[in-house]
Amino acid sequence: MSANKIKFINNPENITQELLEGYVMAYKDKVALGGENIVVRVHPKSEDKVAIVTLGGSGHEPALSGFVGEGMLDCSVVGDIFAAPGAQRLFQALQMFKREAGILLVVLNHSGDVMSANMACQLAERVGIKVKRLLTHDDISAGIGAPKDDRRGLAGCVPLFKIIGAAAEEGKSLDELLEIGERFCDNVATLAVAMRSCTHPQNNGIITDLPEGIMEIGMGQHGEGGGGRQPLVSADETASQMVDLLLQQLKPAAGDKLMLIINGVGATTHMELNIIYRKSCLVLEEKGFDVAEGRIQEILTVQEQAGFQMIIARLDADHIDYLKNKRADAPYWVTIGK
Amino acid sequence: MELLTIDAFKAMMSNALAHVKLREDEFSKLDAVIGDGDHGTAIVTALSCVMNPLENGTEFKSVLNDMGFAVMLQTSGSTSTLLGAFFLGMSDHASGSSLDVNGVKAMFAGGLENVQKQTKAQKGDKTMMDALIPAVEAMQNSDTADVKELLLSAADAALKGAEDTVRMKANFGRARNYGEQSIGYADSGATSWSCMFAAFAEAL
Repeated sequence: MSANKIKFINNPENITQELLEGYVMAYKDKVALGGENIVVRVHPKSEDKVAIVTLGGSGHEPALSGFVGEGMLDCSVVGDIFAAPGAQRLFQALQMFKREAGILLVVLNHSGDVMSANMACQLAERVGIKVKRLLTHDDISAGIGAPKDDRRGLAGCVPLFKIIGAAAEEGKSLDELLEIGERFCDNVATLAVAMRSCTHPQNNGIITDLPEGIMEIGMGQHGEGGGGRQPLVSADETASQMVDLLLQQLKPAAGDKLMLIINGVGATTHMELNIIYRKSCLVLEEKGFDVAEGRIQEILTVQEQAGFQMIIARLDADHIDYLKNKRADAPYWVTIGK
Repeated sequence: MELLTIDAFKAMMSNALAHVKLREDEFSKLDAVIGDGDHGTAIVTALSCVMNPLENGTEFKSVLNDMGFAVMLQTSGSTSTLLGAFFLGMSDHASGSSLDVNGVKAMFAGGLENVQKQTKAQKGDKTMMDALIPAVEAMQNSDTADVKELLLSAADAALKGAEDTVRMKANFGRARNYGEQSIGYADSGATSWSCMFAAFAEAL
């Protein structure tokens, strides 16, 4: 079965442009295109505040552009399907957001994104744009305690957007935001599981072929193998295994406040995600943790992949305040706030 | 040759582009052994972008800066990231419209230093660094007062470094996944950089 027989698309070359156009039409009171494949807020925050910019390939909707909005991102720079945007487009976005307060550029640890970010930042610094990079590396599939550089950035970037977005809105400086963001990055861990790999909508390719009845814990954003293949087990067993691995990484103490997010990656239903959340939360509570913040949502997906990402973070008082009490109004993340 | 003028530098870069073009297919075939087979195209495209800013340049610092911007803004991928970083680093350590051997040494050392900020690859990892690092080291260790001789020493070291990659096992980036299969073939990046250094010296 070729991918173009299972998808509502037009010319595969136009996917990214068409999906972004549809998105800003639907949420025209919140987001707009600020340039080719550059999504910005309709109501920008004032220039005396730090701008939060991110970058990444398309095909992962609603990520990352779904989180552009008040209290979250100021701008997302979009590449083609699963591909980093080039340095030129990112540099263009950095020029648009040039300000004395500076720009915090959130980069998910994938080689293409890192390379474009490094190039664009080098050029930006040479023309007097103040920009700092925050690299996310929440995936733990490279092994518990693996060096940060070896760990990919997964959906843990989304609660990070909420936290630093709220802090930026409050007027925190670039250095303060970097510290708040790094503190969260050091305390968030994500693990993905897949039972069917994703497809590439432009070339019909299946990225990794998973046989029926097999699941793989540790699979990456685009279905790159992570090594942990095993026969498919029940939702409860899957959830317990994954919670256990994430806790080994985070090493929280009893009584710690945790955030738990179950992110559907496209082909797994909310019915299943709810069942997974139930067991994950029960396990955490049995171990004496306080699940202070929870969410079941498709925040970062990939085409046709069946599976989910489990994100657990250890929250401090700052992070809880920014997550729960501060207003956010992005198309895919709304918090009323206090 | 006591001084490297901006015109001589332009001749070096044009000669490098000409030689890289002649061997474009060879670089791509080497890259196909352990990569995606596009290195020939990538290095030709990246070097082609610098010709326009180079043509209008009158002094080293600004022309190298413009060359770095051109590579990084007009192309993408690791080849252009590193080549662009090389020119920007050279720009930071060069000034005026002619350089003596010490000026040339400082310029190339600055280029290497900035490339090393972009990649963690070391000598022995079977990458372009196996040509670039020995070339710049040979220049720093040379006591000649002649710019052409200085660049000849760099070209010799780069060629030897590139040849050494035949025996190496890829240890970096995607190529790392090929492990033992990578032995027996030169690295495409080291080969193209040694080709550039040979062309630099030949042009003087």
